[in-house]
Amino acid sequence: MIIARLILGRIASSLLTLLLVSLLIFLVLEVLPGDVATRVLGRDATPESVAILRERLNLDDPAYLRYLTWLGNFLTGDFGRSLISGRPVIDILGPRIFNTLLLAAYAFLLYIPLATLPALIQAVTRDRPLDHALSLVTLVLLSMPDFLLATILLITFVLAIPILPAISLVDHSSSAFEYFRAMTLPAVTLAIVMAVYAVRMLRDNLIEVLDSEYVRMAELKGVPAARVVWRHALPNALVPTLNVTALNLAYLIGGVVVVERVFSYPGFGSLLLDVLQLRDLPVIEATIMLAAAVYILGNLLADIAALLLNPRLRSG
Amino acid sequence: MTALDHPTGASGWLGLWRRTPLSFRIGAVILLLHGLVAVFGPYLVPYGYSEMRTGIPLTGMSFEHPFGVDQLGRDVFSRVVHGAHIVILLSLSGTALGLVLGSIVGLLSGYVGGWIDNVIQRLLETLISIPFLVLALLAMAAAGPELAGNPVLVILVVALVYFPRIARMARSAAIDIATRDFVTIAKLRGETAWSVMRRELLPNATSVLLVEFALRAGYAPVLIGSLGFLGFGVKPPTPEWGLMISENRALLIISPITVLGPGLALASLVVGLNLFTEGLARILGRTVKLGGA
Repeated sequence: MIIARLILGRIASSLLTLLLVSLLIFLVLEVLPGDVATRVLGRDATPESVAILRERLNLDDPAYLRYLTWLGNFLTGDFGRSLISGRPVIDILGPRIFNTLLLAAYAFLLYIPLATLPALIQAVTRDRPLDHALSLVTLVLLSMPDFLLATILLITFVLAIPILPAISLVDHSSSAFEYFRAMTLPAVTLAIVMAVYAVRMLRDNLIEVLDSEYVRMAELKGVPAARVVWRHALPNALVPTLNVTALNLAYLIGGVVVVERVFSYPGFGSLLLDVLQLRDLPVIEATIMLAAAVYILGNLLADIAALLLNPRLRSG
Repeated sequence: MTALDHPTGASGWLGLWRRTPLSFRIGAVILLLHGLVAVFGPYLVPYGYSEMRTGIPLTGMSFEHPFGVDQLGRDVFSRVVHGAHIVILLSLSGTALGLVLGSIVGLLSGYVGGWIDNVIQRLLETLISIPFLVLALLAMAAAGPELAGNPVLVILVVALVYFPRIARMARSAAIDIATRDFVTIAKLRGETAWSVMRRELLPNATSVLLVEFALRAGYAPVLIGSLGFLGFGVKPPTPEWGLMISENRALLIISPITVLGPGLALASLVVGLNLFTEGLARILGRTVKLGGA
């Protein structure tokens, strides 16, 4: 039962981290020196509008009380209302999260072959020109900022091969096909950036596994080469890349901010940029909490998977 | 054993250079070029970074304007060259500040241990749990409209994003070093934690920290560029490359070079830094996972 205890420990520590994140977000946005109301409204706000905002944010209450109220509301699913439109934050956030989840799922689907195939080719052709060429390509892509890659894909597909839209505006009335078309370029961008991180690691893991004794053994037994790679080497080489995949999830949360902006895709990332510019505190707080929660959850899942997959940790 | 130990015939500086990994040499040359452009470039290019009416706006590549002319009639090539020292200085000072903070916090935390270490680890974990671009944007927004676009703020934000990650590396190095005899002896001599950190831990963690610095510095131009691109970095007319890519995006179809030019500058700087880091790591006998996050 050691494993169960380890997993429970990880879950508890993740929850504690999430609690600390909520405290940090609140401190940074609402307690830091300087009046919150003036920071939201800017310097030339009228005293009346400052007074109204102070009232709406309960700024005259002590900070710890405001934090506890905010946290309590948050835990019961009440994220407050937007300062700009007055709509409940949940109504603003909901459709954006849906759009981003759809985009992320599409990107992950593309990510798997984009990460695996080049790594397999490199491992099999190791130290030959094709391997070096692919290494160079991944290094260049690794060094290419995502906003630049997105912009270049935009030029290529909108100018040279005009089959995909330059602006990925969709809403609830869009058909599934429109969604698919709108999401393709942003998803390809995200998938390439994520895959590049994984390819380099997977290549090295694969080479290590291909050199291991049990793979040699399988080869000596006369197992066909393709089967050795697919059934023996690949599954074992994939385990250490779980960590990279968790890191990729972390990247994805920041990546959607950039990529959604480039393609004007109405997701969670473009919402974050909009509300940061508008200083819409309740929406900013909810959005960042969500980003941190997803990230912490991703890391937790990666840790649990690693625990379950590692026999040494399993026995003690 | 490190890559430099392999005996070859050559000796002196040239021999040393020849024995470094190829990636290190290519990276160093690219960085040297960027450094030269950053230092001398501004005196050599024909136009200032905010000089308008240098040519016909929206014309593409030409001999006088290798990277074209932007909407305001500014020469994009001159702007890219003027931007080099800004991008490099912001990246290096932000990363350096993150390194200093991260090393002190990480080494002390790992050496002291106990509940202090636990508390510090929790706090660092909290900062790491916010995706770094989101954290950077949050910090930019929290600073308020008066400080927006201030280069010092950009440096502080880079340091804020990096120091917890560097501290985590420094801490594991400190825990490893702290088990050695010379640390025990220093402790028995009655040295304070600060002096043990400075005189025993720091010198022995140099190679870890050096690679960590190079790795983080390699991603800093992208982070700064992303902030500029999203409108949360330095303000126009500063010729920061990410900001330029964002400004010229509207010209993409008419004159793609106005976007590709600054993009090439940014990507080549990062390629140089990444190759340099990979080579440096190999020289110091370490493995490094490129990619920033």
